Amino acid sequence: MSGTWAPGKARRAARGWDPRDGQAASPEGGPASERPLLIALAGNPNAGKTTLFNALTGAHHKVGNYPGVTVEKREGLLVHRGRSIRVVDLPGVYSLTAYSADEVVARDFMLREKPDLIIDVLDSTNLERHLYLCLQLIELGVPVIGALSMTDEARAQGIEIDADRLGARLGLRCVKTARGAGKDELLDAVLAAAAEGFPAAREPDYGTELEAVIARLVALIAADPVFTATMPPRWLAIKLLERDDVARAALRDGRAVGGTAVDAPHAALSQIEALLEESFAWIAGRFGRDAEIVVSERRYAYVHGAVAEALRKTAEAGFVRSSKLDAVLMSPAWGLPVFLLVLYGVFKLTFSLGEYPMAWIESGVAWLSGRLAAALPEGLFRSLVVDGVVAGVGGVLSFVPQIVILFFCLAFLEDSGYMARAAFLTDRFLHRFGLHGQSFLPLALGFGCSVPAIMAARTLKSRRDRVATVLAVPFMSCGAKLPVYVLLAGAFFPRNPAAAIMAVYGVGVLLALASSLVWKRTVLRGEPTPFVMELPPYRLPTMRGMLWQVGEKAWCYLKKAGTVILAASVLIWAITVFPRAPEGTAPDAALAQSFAGRIGRAIEPLVKPLGFDWKIGVAAVTGFAAKEVVVSTLGILYRAEDGESGEGLREALRRDAGMTPLVALALMLFVLVMPPCLAALAAIKAELGARWLAFEVAYLVALSWLVAFLVYRGGPLLGLKAVV
Amino acid sequence: MRLSELPAGHAFTVDRVLLSRETGKRLADMGFTAGRRGRVVRKQYLGGPLQVEILGGSVLIRRAEAAGIEVVQGGAA
Repeated sequence: MSGTWAPGKARRAARGWDPRDGQAASPEGGPASERPLLIALAGNPNAGKTTLFNALTGAHHKVGNYPGVTVEKREGLLVHRGRSIRVVDLPGVYSLTAYSADEVVARDFMLREKPDLIIDVLDSTNLERHLYLCLQLIELGVPVIGALSMTDEARAQGIEIDADRLGARLGLRCVKTARGAGKDELLDAVLAAAAEGFPAAREPDYGTELEAVIARLVALIAADPVFTATMPPRWLAIKLLERDDVARAALRDGRAVGGTAVDAPHAALSQIEALLEESFAWIAGRFGRDAEIVVSERRYAYVHGAVAEALRKTAEAGFVRSSKLDAVLMSPAWGLPVFLLVLYGVFKLTFSLGEYPMAWIESGVAWLSGRLAAALPEGLFRSLVVDGVVAGVGGVLSFVPQIVILFFCLAFLEDSGYMARAAFLTDRFLHRFGLHGQSFLPLALGFGCSVPAIMAARTLKSRRDRVATVLAVPFMSCGAKLPVYVLLAGAFFPRNPAAAIMAVYGVGVLLALASSLVWKRTVLRGEPTPFVMELPPYRLPTMRGMLWQVGEKAWCYLKKAGTVILAASVLIWAITVFPRAPEGTAPDAALAQSFAGRIGRAIEPLVKPLGFDWKIGVAAVTGFAAKEVVVSTLGILYRAEDGESGEGLREALRRDAGMTPLVALALMLFVLVMPPCLAALAAIKAELGARWLAFEVAYLVALSWLVAFLVYRGGPLLGLKAVV
Repeated sequence: MRLSELPAGHAFTVDRVLLSRETGKRLADMGFTAGRRGRVVRKQYLGGPLQVEILGGSVLIRRAEAAGIEVVQGGAA
């Protein structure tokens, strides 16, 4: 034990802020032992955090989202020597700025939930980079224990770390862990810290000059009870110097970061702001660069000093050797072809291999609805169960195999480190259109199914890029739109249906890029997100880790199928059967009289300029459920005997005087651009929220109309009618 | 000179990050701080991103961001 720890309570009292103020249980003595300890697991991406989390909590964990954001929250409970401990896995981050959702989530968690302790996972092979985050965790005022991971790899690289010495220097306890070993020592250290009343780590030193600036700010901030009640004054002072927008806003409206608004007047505001501006100017003059950069530099200098003392290199490694694999995978000549091959492989695996279980599920659903149809008496209830619930949810369930396979591939690519290489290869092209190197994969997957594609956009760390990517996905013609194209192209472009279909796909890609460009200049304006990402070393992903990730995502999707999509399927079913037609009405007449039919007729004036009649309007409305439904709806309305299989419907369509090749082309493009199916809309809402979903739907409705209108009205001007 | 001008394979020492706010802060957080030594591993063609070795790891940055880092050539470790 190093003798550097001040008694925790006294020390925190001296800082004027106790992270556990306001909590029910007392941190001292008996009552606290009743309450499970709350431990946050923090660290850089690729630090070995997930491995440690799994080792600590085993299978006892649950996954959810942090409130208001799509950042995954993993939580587990464990018992060590009779004491229950709750472990929350924080997102992997390099720093704690206000610039990314992950980082804001991590720091808000510390300020709001006030965990008893942070376990910071530190990669022993690259301590300097990892300790940089550690210092910022210490500043949040929550006690920290350092878990040195990958110590065996470090030893292999000739790096010897004196954990006690490092701990003494930083004023925190450091425990060596490697591949699950050291788990008990770590938990013992947690309990030891609890027994001592959670001693705080030593505050990092920013050097005499910067410390003087910080001290003046802290003096002003600490005098204001609004701030001292909810966050460490020193933390706020440093964040202000780093030009942290959230901290600055907190200062202005008297709102604690991560907390609620406080009405109390805070007289110190104008003084603090004046001093801050003065400090910015002084630092810029003294150091020749902006304050936020200087703070980072001082932090690294402090880390460097600590590491120099505690780390011994038995072999001079110099620069990391560049991987031989990267010489191929990232090379100008081979990188892109290999990437396209990988993409093709993922695609093939997802949609070809997925077809078999998908067919089983579909036939299972068909069997079930057959049995139900036979068992239930003819009538509304049977229709609701068979055509509404089973058909709707069954259709969604059939995507599960594809989602599982896809996420397995994604987990492999991500965990192995290949995803970052792919971003390197494609960023140049996509960045021009306001997208990101990592947008490529989700967009390509969109050709198969929008749902997994939208979920795949989670690999993008920046909110802006994620929004742009998700919004662009529906332009990639998904598999369900293909039957519509096949039908129409077969009927109206018999000489070369494939070329017509290809053209529609091409238009989709062009519209995706053009739309991204438009969004970049309008709704997604603002400073471009910097592309600064660590290139992780290649690692062989563990089966367990991948299965874990896949299981979680598949489960999230299933939960959605059981709720949102079920409700929506029933709604779509209801508008196609109500109001009830009298017995013996032909199916087409019944559909025409239903709400769906009425909506189709009501919107007829709107689709008339596109050359469509009410039947197409009805088909488009039912198409919200799933795009394949467009074909079966047309089948009912055109009274074609053999619904989906085509020949009869094709003939029927051709006989319709209103349908010309030009109208068919307009319709194909209309189907291409119109809002995606319910499952995809639910996915967009889950990823981006209701406001972006509303935007996307409005945008797609408007654009699909415009595109169809331009083709139908503009086509003749270009002499396209000649195709007839 | 700027980091973006350095050919692949060359070592450098960071003089200072000229950018500020989000991009500058990100770069500094990733280790682009005064006096730090690094090496350009490769540059993607057609003005694509750079792979830079710095602070014991590899970092990918865009050409535009690299143009905001003033470096001195050399200083190989």
